Amino acid sequence: MRILLLTLLILLAVTCTVSCTGQPSRKQLTVAVISGAEGEALKQAARDYEAHTGTHIEIAEFPYANLFEKELIDLKSHTGAYDLIMLDDPWFPRFANENVLTELTSLLQKRGQSGPDSDFIEASLNVCRHPFQTGALYALPYVGNSQLFFYRKDLFEKYSLKAPATWDDVLAAVKTIHEKETKGANGSKVYGYVMRAAQGNAAVADFMPIFWAFGGEMFDANGKPAVNSPEGIAALEFMVELGKYSPPGYASFNADEVGAHLLQGTAAMSINWPVWISPFSDPSRSKVVGRMEFTTLPGAKKPGQAEIGNWLIAIPRYSKNAEAAMDFLLWTTAPEQMKVSTRRGNPPTRRSLFKDAELVAKNPAYPAQLRSLESSRPRPRTPYWNEIENAFGIFLSKANSGELSPAEAMNQANAEIEKILQRAK
Amino acid sequence: MPRSRRFFNAQNKRELLLPTLFLAPALAVLLALSIYPLIYSVTISLQQESAAGITWGVGNFTRLFSDNFFWTAMGHTFVYAAAALTCEFLLGLGLALLLNNQSRGRGFFRASLLVPMMLPTVVVGVVWRLMLNPNFGAVNGTFKQLGIDTESLTWTASPKLAMLSVIAVDVWQWTPFVFLVLLAGLQAIPQEPYEAALIDGSSRWQTFWHVTLPLLKPSILIVLLLRTMDLLRVFDQIFILTEGGPGFATETISLYIYRAAFRFFDFGYAAAMSFVLLALTNIISATYIRLLQGRNA
Repeated sequence: MRILLLTLLILLAVTCTVSCTGQPSRKQLTVAVISGAEGEALKQAARDYEAHTGTHIEIAEFPYANLFEKELIDLKSHTGAYDLIMLDDPWFPRFANENVLTELTSLLQKRGQSGPDSDFIEASLNVCRHPFQTGALYALPYVGNSQLFFYRKDLFEKYSLKAPATWDDVLAAVKTIHEKETKGANGSKVYGYVMRAAQGNAAVADFMPIFWAFGGEMFDANGKPAVNSPEGIAALEFMVELGKYSPPGYASFNADEVGAHLLQGTAAMSINWPVWISPFSDPSRSKVVGRMEFTTLPGAKKPGQAEIGNWLIAIPRYSKNAEAAMDFLLWTTAPEQMKVSTRRGNPPTRRSLFKDAELVAKNPAYPAQLRSLESSRPRPRTPYWNEIENAFGIFLSKANSGELSPAEAMNQANAEIEKILQRAK
Repeated sequence: MPRSRRFFNAQNKRELLLPTLFLAPALAVLLALSIYPLIYSVTISLQQESAAGITWGVGNFTRLFSDNFFWTAMGHTFVYAAAALTCEFLLGLGLALLLNNQSRGRGFFRASLLVPMMLPTVVVGVVWRLMLNPNFGAVNGTFKQLGIDTESLTWTASPKLAMLSVIAVDVWQWTPFVFLVLLAGLQAIPQEPYEAALIDGSSRWQTFWHVTLPLLKPSILIVLLLRTMDLLRVFDQIFILTEGGPGFATETISLYIYRAAFRFFDFGYAAAMSFVLLALTNIISATYIRLLQGRNA
């Protein structure tokens, strides 16, 4: 008995020292950020805010692979360790569905605002609402990423090719460049196309714009998975066809490999994200300075639509400093501060900034980015997106590596997605 | 009964106090970091979360039977473990026999063979991923210099070559360990049995089969046990080299468990799969011990 008491005493002593030293001082906020360009801007904004207001901001930084799990574990266990979190928009339905975020409109009303101001781009605000588009506001959009179509305008001019407005135009141009550019920028062959077809996020992101343009829908009107529709299979057949003109091994490519091929001038076209725009004007990284053009995504049966990939900022439900957090959130997403963030490389989520003459002069792709973002589409809004994306990506990758035919891949993917939804019921 | 009464008498109590005091912190740490999580993982493996709430039962275990991903990943794990273990064991044994008798330069060889083993697996993964890159990598670069067509050698990106690639990397990294343990075992065998075998006129093969191998059994057992357990739970190199791809071609059970837990946030199902893996590892280990030690023990 005495031993037991002693053990308990020791444990008590240990927990006491831990919790006593962890006591926060009065004005302090903790922010979970993504490591990399997007988080870097927010970190610097936090320093500026600190200098401005005296509120100390603690930064917890995680790589993309860990951020989701760290945040969800903390939020679900109600510790209130974070006052603000950065979220990738496809994660948002999961967080909102778990009911672990603070509804923002009431906080806005306390400050005399009826809702988020109308300068925010509609498509960006839509992914901050639960349910999608119509529901309550649980986050504000911070980084306005959406996909763009990258193509080598010098090669298009050289072979007098039509600007890539449809996927048919793309395939025709891909074939021409593939045949004729056997000795490219550095003496090696130029592949017509390059894409990310590694399983998971990568393959799905590079496939969705083709899938949508061909008329594919992941879920039918009744919410049943429908990726193996004739349109869906045709879209995957088209992706595999493009793959014939892509560098060998593309079925395992991720962003870095695609970026390397484009920057080295060994591939002519790709779907890519705005973060890859600026490296093309840097001669130390790019062999094709001034030769890359950025435009909206090609269409087919339907007009082209980019996948939206915004970074959002939300306040966890169990934050003990929700009002102070809201103050920082509004400060950092206000036009002046977001303009500072664009100088740190992040696309804005405000129309006024995309149209700001000074910024457009520095970022010639802004008009295309704005068009792309305004017409963008989110990934299907479901709390089970991570699981669905994983299964879907595996089969897309299998079709691209030649392990399965496009029809087989889509049939199997559909069955797996069906299973995931069944389980969720 | 009298014995236990004596055990708890006053004097004994006093004598027991000090050792207990010293043991308490270690026990507390063990309880907090090992026993508690174990019990917790058993409980969550029996819980299933859905929109309707949490249900208790063996649902996570029955779900395993209808999960194609689980069975495919299990299959990959066993192919990976069997292939890597066979190569590592044969190569390691060969190297150990080769270097056992050679006295000159042994130190040098031994040291240089150990380098891969000393590297963190994550570093090994990154280095090999770069070397196996089909377009810019050193492996295909070398082949190109030798005039070999590398167009179809897409290593980690081809469903046929990817498994081979990840196995090769493991063999590269862990053969030295097998070699080291077996060499130590060989050095510990006394000279007398060999002299006796020589006098009896045994051939080199017979000596190896009837003298060396039986006396090396304890070292072989250790090596097989440790490597099997490591191979069955392999995670880091594959995660870095292929992340389970292309498609699902190199997804092992640990990767799938990781995904279920931290990407899909289904800790119950991940715990259930972990227990199945634990059970299989135990069965295999017990089989080894019985096969290799059975007659002696």
